[in-house]
Amino acid sequence: MIDSRMIDWRMVFVSGKGGVGKSAITASLALSEARRGGRVLVIGMVESIGAASHLSAQPLGYEPRRVRPGIDALAVNRSDALDEYLRLQLPVPKAAPTRVLTRALSVLAETAPGVREIVTIGKPVYEMWRSNYDLVLVDAPPLGQLFSYLRAPSTIAELVPAGPIRAQAERMSAALGDPEAAALIIVTTPDELPVRETQELLGQIEAEPVIRLAGVVANRVLPDLSLTDTEIDTLPSGPHQDAARHHHEVYTRQQRWLNELPDGPRLPYLFGIHTAGEVGEKLADVWEEVSW
Amino acid sequence: MTRVLVVTGAGGVGKTTLSAALAVGAARNGLRTCVITVDPARRLANALGIDSLTNHPAPVTAQPGLSAAMLDVTAAWEAMVHRHADPDVADRLLTNPFFRALADRFPAAQAYAAGEQMAEHIESHRWDLLVVDTPPAGGGLDFYRAPGQVREVVGGRLLKWLTGAGLPGRRALFRITARPALRIADTVLGGPLLEEIAEFLMDLRSLYDGLSARARSIERHLQRAESIVVTTAEPTPLREARRFFDELQDVTGRPSTVVFNKQLPEDWSVSRNLRSPGLAPEVRSAARDNLARWASEVHLQRDIKREFAARYRLHLVDVPWAADPPTSVDALARLLNLSPELAEYAH
Repeated sequence: MIDSRMIDWRMVFVSGKGGVGKSAITASLALSEARRGGRVLVIGMVESIGAASHLSAQPLGYEPRRVRPGIDALAVNRSDALDEYLRLQLPVPKAAPTRVLTRALSVLAETAPGVREIVTIGKPVYEMWRSNYDLVLVDAPPLGQLFSYLRAPSTIAELVPAGPIRAQAERMSAALGDPEAAALIIVTTPDELPVRETQELLGQIEAEPVIRLAGVVANRVLPDLSLTDTEIDTLPSGPHQDAARHHHEVYTRQQRWLNELPDGPRLPYLFGIHTAGEVGEKLADVWEEVSW
Repeated sequence: MTRVLVVTGAGGVGKTTLSAALAVGAARNGLRTCVITVDPARRLANALGIDSLTNHPAPVTAQPGLSAAMLDVTAAWEAMVHRHADPDVADRLLTNPFFRALADRFPAAQAYAAGEQMAEHIESHRWDLLVVDTPPAGGGLDFYRAPGQVREVVGGRLLKWLTGAGLPGRRALFRITARPALRIADTVLGGPLLEEIAEFLMDLRSLYDGLSARARSIERHLQRAESIVVTTAEPTPLREARRFFDELQDVTGRPSTVVFNKQLPEDWSVSRNLRSPGLAPEVRSAARDNLARWASEVHLQRDIKREFAARYRLHLVDVPWAADPPTSVDALARLLNLSPELAEYAH
């Protein structure tokens, strides 16, 4: 059974530098939760492929669609999100001219800091409020952009002195910052740039705790070869020795970067498996064994 | 005449490292070379001696003939605003929080700044070869699309949304239909925002003529540039590389070469016995299991490349997987020599 430290919240954001496997891990967490009987909503926040490609062959729409037993999924697109934000989330007076407001809000979203982000991050929060999924699992924007999304409510509070946008931003901020309700998983690989970006975000969250950290997951970690340098030297030269040396070098470098990360689950490098569907399933199997 | 080599690809595929390797190779071949990097890993930056973020190329001490710059998006945009706007408008824009937000988040802003730097270095006529490492956004697509997108934004797309029709002049904006609508919106949304934004967009629009001409010349440079797409056989970079070729069919400078980085040796895939009498049994089995694991990766890489080459009729160039990233100009040169076909680009 998956360690409950990772997903025991109503809403879990999964982020990481591009290419580290965050979408695959989001998918595997959804599968794990579904296997233990939970009802999951997976939300692709910035791309319609992402986690969905590990769960379903069809691209996702804005309405939740069943992709696996126990798992629904949707993708946020900005214009629908903007529309929904205006219709359902902002308490605007009935008499207000909708067309003018929609246009105005579109321009705001493109120009004013925080507005586009709050409209997008508002979707998962809104689904958590109104639906009764056990877990809302968010395939979040990549690490470099994540903080501007998480921080959007405060950015707006600094920009707008009062009124419905600000009130909504404050409710959103409270929901994201509620340590009983929401948490963030950071995915990384044991390489220089992903680890540095992870450390940078950890620093930002420590300085401004906009969300609780569920954990840092290291992905694509090589197993220990259990051969020493000397033993590798005794191998006859050729592919066996080359592959052993290569493995040992990559493994050693990975361990160095792992030491720079906080303690957390390590997921193995999946040799020879790359198709999206397989990766999600295989990692879901791995979650049952992983411990730290 | 400066030859330009544009290196695109998703984040994390080794694009910056390969750009640097190409630049080192070219300098060693006697070309006056400049490389513009984007966000290099610390040790690579150290290898090139570019610790400080600056758009001005600095000579790389360890490699005669080579200069390197590191893209500074904010400084590039500031320079563009000063070049294209009246002094007082420029000051207003640069201190305006909306402008900073736009430049920070608009994905095309970083890509456009890189294109702008490229144009500037080409037009300086100081270089035989300019190697341009591109921002990873959109898997490289953004770099090609940015000039058009920036032209659109600066040209008043947002302003038209606000006014709902044609573009009014500054005074007309506040006389005709727009002002009451903005007032209503501001009242409902809760701040004196939209009027400020409208003012800001009018200022922004004054950049249009200059910026638009510049964007066109960037597009012309891009059409003449040689281009290399870098990817690995991993799913995310591959998806971006596919998108690149699916969506970028109309660009004249469409690259014909795709570099597959981190490739494993073909001969690892051939199963063979491990004959060596004196070997301890556990060493033997560990080595055998390990080669079998990596062999499955080699098979996978081969299948992926075969499918990719067939689908897009492209020439694929392999670069071997270097366990340790290069940390000196010599190591960069060695990396390039591992792939003779890639090294061709450095002549």
